[in-house]
Amino acid sequence: MQLTRNDIIEQLREILLSADDRNAEMIQSATEDSRLMEDFGFSSVSMLYTVIAIEEVFDIQFENVGVTDFETLGDVVNYIEGALK
Amino acid sequence: MSMTTAQGFRKYTTDEVWAKLRSYDCVTQMWQSVVREFPESIAIADDGKEYSFAQLDADAAAFRAVLKLEKGAKVGILCANSYDFVKAFLAVTTAGGVAVVLPAQLDAGTVFGCCMKFGLSKLVYQPQLAEKTAVAAAQAKHVELIDVTTTAQGTAPAVVCGADDPCVIMFTGGTTGRSKGALLSNGAVMQGTLNGCYGYPEVFGQRYLLVLPLSHVFGLIRNLMTSLYTGSTLFICRNNKDMFRDIAVFKPTILVLVPALAEMALTLSKKFKRNMLGEELKYIICGAAPVPPYLLEEYRKLGVTVFPGYGLTESANLVSGNPETITKPDSVGLLYPNQEYKLVDGELWLKGKNMMLGYVGEDELQAYEDGWFKTGDLVRIDEDGFLYITGRIKEIIILPNGENVSPAVVEANFNALPFIQDSQVFEDVSESGTHFLALEVVPRMTELAAMNLEDPNAYIMAELERVNKTLLPYERVSRIVIRDTDFERTPSMKIVRYKKCN
Repeated sequence: MQLTRNDIIEQLREILLSADDRNAEMIQSATEDSRLMEDFGFSSVSMLYTVIAIEEVFDIQFENVGVTDFETLGDVVNYIEGALK
Repeated sequence: MSMTTAQGFRKYTTDEVWAKLRSYDCVTQMWQSVVREFPESIAIADDGKEYSFAQLDADAAAFRAVLKLEKGAKVGILCANSYDFVKAFLAVTTAGGVAVVLPAQLDAGTVFGCCMKFGLSKLVYQPQLAEKTAVAAAQAKHVELIDVTTTAQGTAPAVVCGADDPCVIMFTGGTTGRSKGALLSNGAVMQGTLNGCYGYPEVFGQRYLLVLPLSHVFGLIRNLMTSLYTGSTLFICRNNKDMFRDIAVFKPTILVLVPALAEMALTLSKKFKRNMLGEELKYIICGAAPVPPYLLEEYRKLGVTVFPGYGLTESANLVSGNPETITKPDSVGLLYPNQEYKLVDGELWLKGKNMMLGYVGEDELQAYEDGWFKTGDLVRIDEDGFLYITGRIKEIIILPNGENVSPAVVEANFNALPFIQDSQVFEDVSESGTHFLALEVVPRMTELAAMNLEDPNAYIMAELERVNKTLLPYERVSRIVIRDTDFERTPSMKIVRYKKCN
């Protein structure tokens, strides 16, 4: 079954909350335009956690991208969608 | 004034280990000794290849022939964590040179600046970082650029140095946050390396995994040098996101981590309901930032002992380490051997073999008083000699990932806005216990009034956010508050700094 963008965002929301919940409200109401660092206040370690958890949950591997290459949630969804194809 | 001895650590290890702990005056002596003792053991595993101590020794000797160093020559090393770094570092230091370790993320302009500031005669670089040497190549023609993969005929002999001879220059923000170099002697590096062997029973022939940058003393000395000293194998993790895959394959017995990484591994283990750190892990050496006691407790449930420690770049990494993790989980431990110390108004002052020769590229006499290095950390020492960090008088903020942030440097960016009168950057902690940087500003009302804005606060916030985005990722603030009153001030009108953490 193919995941829709909304499915991906829902799973991402759970990962983001476990990565760093200090801006939990922002994450709960996040859209594709939400920015990981500025809106969620993510540190480099929270970003690293997110990448590792995404690889685990979606069973994909990030190739040739750095932890800080993603600015918005939409960027992450795009990457996951691409990797799942 | 007191001087510590090794005896405090005696009971935490075995007779066999104790008998093997030897003190060296220089890297060359130590290196020759470990190569004699463990020639066929694997020293480094990197990028799918394994290198024995004998192989690493041969490669370092061959690279000394490429370098052709005079004793005391300063050689920049611009390499990411890799076997190449280790080879170059050993070649420079065993040739009697001074290794100037440049963080791989520096830009070309800063690399050039370092060539000048530190008086480099040569710069060793990895081919993939070649573009970062472009400015130096054009403007610092006296600096010889050497590709780390260069080979030459023959080898050059190792040079034995004295304990006071310089060995390495490491980047640090020091107690003020302005970037500079700390010059460490051969004796200091060797004391720091030996300090990593105290306080636990299984020391030699271990399996270490490297995730910290070798441009930080915790990575260079506690992770790399102690691994070499103990005849252990160091697996170099090339990309931190792959650390758990690497761990599953390599099965390390000891990890050297900053608290934020140790905590992340714990959270991941809970989320995916399996021990992400591998079945064979026994110890986590944790430092570079305060280690929360609950980490020790949570890891104990997984059968892993977390050893908190305390150290500074200026002290060649470790000053103290805590072997008493159950009864004193909030202590940073016993001061290591040969550490001279005294407490002045609660502040820890240090002297000893492990202390730096001084800063390079900046005159910083205020860091010293009567020959003592003033750490800026407030401590207490209990009746058993265990050290506790109780506060900090230096302004520097140390984040859980080990990054050091100078509030004054970050504030200057916001203060540059004409309508900001003053600002304060500080560390705050959320209800869930996460530490983060926060910013409070006092607007300059006259300036704002003249701008005839419809919604001044929205404008200020947008501008502050814009500036925030220009900062280095770890310097960015996560919460901004616009004050309608001034900060509390001292009699000399300085801002009274918040102390929400520590």
